[in-house]
Amino acid sequence: MKTVFRIILLFVVLAGCLACAHTGGFSKPASYSFTIDIPEGWRKIDNNRYLFVTKESPFLQFIMVQNRPISQSFRNTKKKMQNGMLPEEAAQIIIDELASDQNLVNLRILSNTPATIKEYDGFKILYTYSDTEGRTYKTLYYGFIKEDTFFNLRFRAVDQIYFQRDVATFRSILNSFQIIKAKAA
Amino acid sequence: MMRTATPIIKAKMAAARRHFCFHLSLLLFIVLAAACSTYSRSDLSVVSDTLLADEDERMLWQKSEQEQLALESNGCIYSDPELEDYLNKVVARLWPQSAAPDLVIRVKVIRNAYLNAFAYPNGMIYIHTGLLARMDSEDQLAAVLAHEIIHCTRRHALRAFRAYRNQPAVLSAVQQTLLQNRGLQDMARYLGITGTMAAVSGYVRELEVEADRLGIELMTAAGYNPKKARFLFDHMIAEIEQEGLEEPFFFGSHPGVRQRLEHLQNLPDPVYLYTRPAIKNREMFLANLGQVLSDNVALDIRLGRFLSARRGVEKLLQIKPVDSRAYFLRGEIFRQEGQAGDIPNALESYDRAITLDPNYAAAHKAIGLIHYKQGHHALAKKFFESCLQLSPDAPDKDYIQGYLKQCSLSEEG
Repeated sequence: MKTVFRIILLFVVLAGCLACAHTGGFSKPASYSFTIDIPEGWRKIDNNRYLFVTKESPFLQFIMVQNRPISQSFRNTKKKMQNGMLPEEAAQIIIDELASDQNLVNLRILSNTPATIKEYDGFKILYTYSDTEGRTYKTLYYGFIKEDTFFNLRFRAVDQIYFQRDVATFRSILNSFQIIKAKAA
Repeated sequence: MMRTATPIIKAKMAAARRHFCFHLSLLLFIVLAAACSTYSRSDLSVVSDTLLADEDERMLWQKSEQEQLALESNGCIYSDPELEDYLNKVVARLWPQSAAPDLVIRVKVIRNAYLNAFAYPNGMIYIHTGLLARMDSEDQLAAVLAHEIIHCTRRHALRAFRAYRNQPAVLSAVQQTLLQNRGLQDMARYLGITGTMAAVSGYVRELEVEADRLGIELMTAAGYNPKKARFLFDHMIAEIEQEGLEEPFFFGSHPGVRQRLEHLQNLPDPVYLYTRPAIKNREMFLANLGQVLSDNVALDIRLGRFLSARRGVEKLLQIKPVDSRAYFLRGEIFRQEGQAGDIPNALESYDRAITLDPNYAAAHKAIGLIHYKQGHHALAKKFFESCLQLSPDAPDKDYIQGYLKQCSLSEEG
């Protein structure tokens, strides 16, 4: 029985490790950062990789804002963003990354269109997918490249009701989004 | 670096723990059930009338069916009835249904560029488009299928589970492999524990050796040439080494392929089984595999594995020298990889695609994009316009209209 328990323990520890290892590798920090206004009633969960806000629970809805160096590799595709890339080309890399992700079941790209985020030319992707446990999510993903930094702002909600209810909040965050020079590391 | 677990990470951790604990509980239940049973037969190795006589084997099959249901509902199955029919005919040649009426061996294809094939204990074999795309002959296909058939007919999953009761090597192998590769962690989630063992870690060495040895006998007896099968593993090793591919699956891992090759080289040629005329249907094989090859090139491009994609497209062009999509994909590889000097090659490939199919809207757009990025707006405009003419409802029409607007502004300027 000791062996059995050791294996249970290993699996539990392993499961913990699995959940922690969900981003691509790091490279040098991005040159630009950002600010946003967080709406009342939403909780901010900050870390050094992205800014994350939710109202009730991340499983129900979240808004995530990220500035990542374009040289940072993605988790699934080996493609890299480049300065001077067209927004459509950057959008294609994001779609390739999503489509190669085994965790996103039945991914459907509903639309992929140009978008202007502040004065920057970027893209907007609307997509749905299910997780491996059968929950369906809808995500609105904005992105653009400024020099060596890829900015992305995304809103994910667990179903149509939460999506419709909170998409206006996401738009208010999008409107409040400002780029600032990143602090030196 | 110190990390603080955020609520979402904690929630994910909890979900992952629940998921794995569920599988582990089931696995332990199977093991305990086996331990409690009065089963004492020594020969478990062949399909016989005792198939599914025991509780643990019935549970294993039940679990396999659940995992297959989950796997197939996630949209990963490559739907091509003709290809599936062809693959199942090869299986029938290797293992006639009359050999074991209760064990129906079937094959389905998974849309995935990684090199892999795996079998569930209930006879369901899955093969990835990535592995099919690397094959050059039906002999090679037969070698892989025969290996998987042996896993089913010799009840390797059941034997592995029973062995685990006394020695946790099987599960440890899965754990070790999982810990070494982040990509595998996703696989384990969607394949389930039975599928992960079959697809990722492989079985214990003894069972893999048996699958190699008996697989060769099976394919030889069916009229296939085991010597030709070796080329597949030769090519795979070369590709893994040259391109530094880091693949998560057993058939795509360097040790896994090396082991297969060594076994094929070292095993004695079963000359006594050369009783049937040799099967020679390369044309039929290539005809059935052409579309898979093309779709798999697109998957390799998506993954940014341009060297693999390039190999795939050159092979595709040998099979289908006048295929417009093959030339389009070739153009995509050159354009997206963006190496110095690739742009003329991309343009030449797109031109060829349009020559073969003047209505190829995506090729028109791709040429437009190249000219647009080079600042040749008049030329770009011509191709964007022709693209929209050919495909007025293209999903990317908003982008194209934006480019056209810029081209017009540039002309005015």
